[in-house]
Amino acid sequence: MSNSPADKNHVSVWQIAKAVLSAFMGIRKKSDLEHDAATLKPAHVIIGGIIGGLLFVIGVFSVVKLVIN
Amino acid sequence: MAAVHGDAHGHEHDDHHPSGIMRWITTTNHKDIGTMYLWFSFAMFLVGGTLAMGIRAELYQPGIQILEPELFNQFTTLHGLIMVFGAIMPAFVGFANWQVPMMIGAPDMAFARMNNWSFWLLPVAATLLVGSFFVPGGAAAGGWTFYPPLSTQGGLGVDLMIFSVHILGASSIMGSINIITTILNMRAPGMTMMKMPLFVWTWLITAYLLVLVMPVLAGVVTMLLTDRHFGTSFFNAAGGGDPVMFQHIFWFFGHPEVYIMILPSFGIVSEVIPTFSRKPLFGYSSMVYATASIAILSCVVWAHHMFTAGMPTVGQLFFMYATMLIAVPTGVKVFNWTATMWRGSMSFETPMLFSIGFIFLFVIGGFSGVICAIVPIDIQVQDTYYVIAHFHYVLVSGSLFALFAGAYYWIPKWTGRMYNETLGKWHFWLSMFFFNMTFFVQHFLGLAGMPRRIPDYNLQFADFNMISSLGAFGFGLTQLLFLYIMINCIRSGDKAPQKPWDGATTLEWTHLPTPAPYHSFEKPPIVK
Ligand code: HEM
Ligand SMILES: [Cu+2]
Repeated sequence: MSNSPADKNHVSVWQIAKAVLSAFMGIRKKSDLEHDAATLKPAHVIIGGIIGGLLFVIGVFSVVKLVIN
Repeated sequence: MAAVHGDAHGHEHDDHHPSGIMRWITTTNHKDIGTMYLWFSFAMFLVGGTLAMGIRAELYQPGIQILEPELFNQFTTLHGLIMVFGAIMPAFVGFANWQVPMMIGAPDMAFARMNNWSFWLLPVAATLLVGSFFVPGGAAAGGWTFYPPLSTQGGLGVDLMIFSVHILGASSIMGSINIITTILNMRAPGMTMMKMPLFVWTWLITAYLLVLVMPVLAGVVTMLLTDRHFGTSFFNAAGGGDPVMFQHIFWFFGHPEVYIMILPSFGIVSEVIPTFSRKPLFGYSSMVYATASIAILSCVVWAHHMFTAGMPTVGQLFFMYATMLIAVPTGVKVFNWTATMWRGSMSFETPMLFSIGFIFLFVIGGFSGVICAIVPIDIQVQDTYYVIAHFHYVLVSGSLFALFAGAYYWIPKWTGRMYNETLGKWHFWLSMFFFNMTFFVQHFLGLAGMPRRIPDYNLQFADFNMISSLGAFGFGLTQLLFLYIMINCIRSGDKAPQKPWDGATTLEWTHLPTPAPYHSFEKPPIVK
């Protein structure tokens, strides 16, 4: 890969979070996807996915707690 | 082993490999190995199907007619094990072997010799399983989920089953590592991840799931083995163990396993539907994302199989909600397939028929799954024929129908010949009719309270059971038609053009002659 402008390839936590969240719902805009595919590395997505999975579990669990009380 | 070499004078066919039986025993060619996987799984499908015919024959009428209860339980157990581990899973690996290298422009699988080994372990495992019918005490009889204490009590048959599962697990893990490595490292230049055909994507994700959960299965059967023979008490309450722990470990493998059996079929359907709708797949990227998230989420829902085993309300609610949420990405997929067909110029060749049948019936199975996930309902229907109906809708009209779709779709590429379209359509419609006749009524039987895994039942269930059995016999016979169609195609089908499906866009159709040469893509294609 050649050096391209830094801001174009900059990956923010927010971008990973959005990618993972839309993955959980299964919906993603094509342009966003292409941007993701060009900039995100597998490690980003895997770590993001695991954190997302944990948050999912914590989220469902909190809802359950809320319902029970 | 004949080396794969380039004859400098470059004539077309320079494959030097042993002929006859040695060709198959020593082969490292992904197409040969794919073929063996497919024939093996079809043979196992017939064995498992024969057991199913036995089960349905016994259930044709109330009372005990042909199978003593002990033998009946062996039939249901081995039916499940053989269909899951012997028929469906190896069939998908067979498809992966044939298709993944061709679809990504690779010359072969990454680890060709390991590929040979992963296949040849299968007949060994199958021999142990089928052979266990003939040992003293007969085959394992505690159900395909082999819960203790039944599985700690059974005889030699259970040990053979345990070893067989070990071997099958090793084979699956090797196959998955091979598939992952091939996909990650051997793609043609320009074939970026986001250009990979969906079948390749679904297999990549499935392979990761397999590597994750097969060791769990191997672990739990090993614990069973040591409980049986080496004095441990993992699952024995009298020794301080816990039989419910078995269920947790088993289903931590078991639920991802059901997705292992469905994700590759999502992949096949996602290839077939765009081809016969002559439109690109709607929402390719969301399909990739949805598949990945199904894989992750499938690891946190396992206890929906255990609602009646006793669990705190918090647990029940957690697993109920999580299970229902997993239906969302699944629903997205169904939406995408439908949207792909929307305003497409569709034609209805056999692969397309099986794919559409898949969508219809898989949705029914998905819905009955969500119903099973509702705790107060599941407490009623757990261990009844309702659950049997649910998982046959997702596994037979899901996984199996997708396998049929894939077989009809790719057989011209594999053999260079066309199957008989009229007979293919007959195969589809007869399968569709008899499948629903067999399994739809089982919803009613389950709701009315008929338990699963029993050789005899009360009189009020008689009519629906008779319908179901008749349907099953019809379904079984129909599958012999599939065998005939395939043999007929291989031996005397019409010559297939390079691209019999004008909507097909993947590399094996656009860049390779038909039939695919023994060695393809020795020089990688350039993908734009
Ligand atoms: C929408 C998705 C699905 C949901 C919500 C779902 C839910 C459930 C639930 C709650 C059960 C437990 C029922 C009980 O034992 O009382 C169950 C059983 C089962 N499901 Fe699903 N399921 C879904 C999809 C699938 C798929 C795709 C497959 C396989 C391809 C599958 C295969 C099975 C099998 C084999 C069983 C029975 C296991 C046994 O006890 O022998 N399910 N499902
Ligand atoms: Cu499950």
